[in-house]
Amino acid sequence: MDNIISAQGLAKSFGSLKAVDDLTLYVRKGEIYGFLGPNGAGKTTTIRMLTTMDPPDSGSVAIDGFDTRKDFIEARRRIGVIQQHHSLDKDLTVKENIYHHALMQNIPFKECKSRVEEIIPLMELQERMNTKAEKLSGGWKKRVAIVCSLIHRPEILFMDEPTTGLDTQSRNALWKLIRSINRTGTTVFLTTHYIFEAESLCDRVGIINKGKLIVEGTPQELRSRIGDYALVVTDPAGEESVSYHSDLPAARKAAQEAPGDCVISIRPSNLEDVFLELTGRKIRCSTSRPRCSGSPTAICVI
Amino acid sequence: MFNFPSEVFRVSYGDLCYMKHNLVQTLVSTLVGPLLYLLAFGYGMKAGDTEYIAYVIPGIVAISSMNSGFSSSSQKIVIQRLFHSSFDELVLCPMHTSSVIFGKCMLGIIRGLAGGIIILGLGMILTPDLFVDYRFILALLMSSVMFSLLGVSAGLLANSTPTLSLFNSIIILPMSFMCGTLFDVSSLPEIVSYIVWALPLSHTTSVLRDAASGSAVDPVSVIMIIVYAAIFYAICYIVIRKKLY
Ligand SMILES: Nc1ncnc2c1ncn2[C@@H]1O[C@H](COP(=O)(O)OP(=O)(O)O)[C@@H](O)[C@H]1O
Ligand SMILES: [Mg+2]
Repeated sequence: MDNIISAQGLAKSFGSLKAVDDLTLYVRKGEIYGFLGPNGAGKTTTIRMLTTMDPPDSGSVAIDGFDTRKDFIEARRRIGVIQQHHSLDKDLTVKENIYHHALMQNIPFKECKSRVEEIIPLMELQERMNTKAEKLSGGWKKRVAIVCSLIHRPEILFMDEPTTGLDTQSRNALWKLIRSINRTGTTVFLTTHYIFEAESLCDRVGIINKGKLIVEGTPQELRSRIGDYALVVTDPAGEESVSYHSDLPAARKAAQEAPGDCVISIRPSNLEDVFLELTGRKIRCSTSRPRCSGSPTAICVI
Repeated sequence: MFNFPSEVFRVSYGDLCYMKHNLVQTLVSTLVGPLLYLLAFGYGMKAGDTEYIAYVIPGIVAISSMNSGFSSSSQKIVIQRLFHSSFDELVLCPMHTSSVIFGKCMLGIIRGLAGGIIILGLGMILTPDLFVDYRFILALLMSSVMFSLLGVSAGLLANSTPTLSLFNSIIILPMSFMCGTLFDVSSLPEIVSYIVWALPLSHTTSVLRDAASGSAVDPVSVIMIIVYAAIFYAICYIVIRKKLY
């Protein structure tokens, strides 16, 4: 399998804070890789190191085999980046921003016009080409940023929290776009703190917490690690405890043993469970027997 | 070998568009300062003294090229770095670092050249003792490039707009007055004259004045300008490559 991104032992500190700590990851050619983690986990710091924007304190990154320190120009040719915060030049119009990007990517002067004309209908930007970037709303800025990042047909598209702050409709549209970009062979590396996004959009997911990559795999593999089914037992006081089971019969069997005054539900496990289980943040999940006593009052399988 | 002029143009395209949008403002802000100097020192102080006007105009041209070169490059970079985060885009483009540096200098160089030529043009109407030849244009170009490089390094290093203003008030402003631009510094105490001699504006003023009056240009000053430009370039290069901004 071809690794188009390989990062080894990346570390970056801000003062005494280890924002990213000994992070090693590989992204395969053609996949959508989701980098999932809560706010402050180190996603942006990682993406900035992968994309040559910031140098790591230690470790190395290779993009399509090119070391980002030594061959940064070759590495940069292959990547497109959409940053978490918009980085358009606010004093320029949409058209000027796009042309500036095309020029900075060393697209031959003669080709710039046709490239721009080819890509803008995709984002329905025709009407807004002469609007100043600062006058656009967030959603439109995102569209311009997408056009700018794709104009040189990069092999890898990096997106830092692309759907944060978007409404459901725009988010669905963006997912569709990401899938279609990916179908043309572009590898996508995106960060997110939405569980659902990682599960439904990404081929493989890496979960990052406090600067460390804690687990990596397809969403299904990650769920299988803790158990495909979650048994949630809620006692009369509203206290929840969760246990994980490899299949439905096992979960049902465990449910039988739960105390009678508890509300019981069985549902497929998700990446949130994986995160909670592996980090111990928020609630501590027990994989052994639930705490309360008696026999179950309700079982619902979602 | 890569195509350096093409890359410089590609990097500066955004700034050139910006200048196009703000042509009138850019021109007015480039010229107001030097015109006031001309009015105050050329007319107010020594009305009718064409010899002094011939002396002071190259000094004003030097100040103007320093201010234009320095302020356009530094302000634009500080804003792009700190407020628009669009400087990251520049860092992300597959360009050579030298192209990025000179691309960011372009606005300052153009403003410095345009301002300098307009002021000298006015001066030539006022006194017959000034003239323009290739040496003057070359000197003006060197001065604008050198101060634009200073502007780029200051823009890369400043962590806030007040820091940049501070740099402006403690380095740029004193230089404007102290470097033999408006009066002969030989009357100052000896120790001061050493400091003045070490400042870059003294040398651009000397070269511009010699060129405009048709006398021989001091090679030491030319070398000093080149050395300063090389130092400022090196600062930009190191800061960008090591991502120290
Ligand atoms: N430039 C910086 N200076 C100081 N601390 C920073 C800087 N950038 C990020 N951090 C800190 O590093 C940690 C990781 O940040 P970040 O990578 O932005 O997280 P995420 O993108 O996952 O939300 C956070 O605790 C953040 O406060
Ligand atoms: Mg972030």
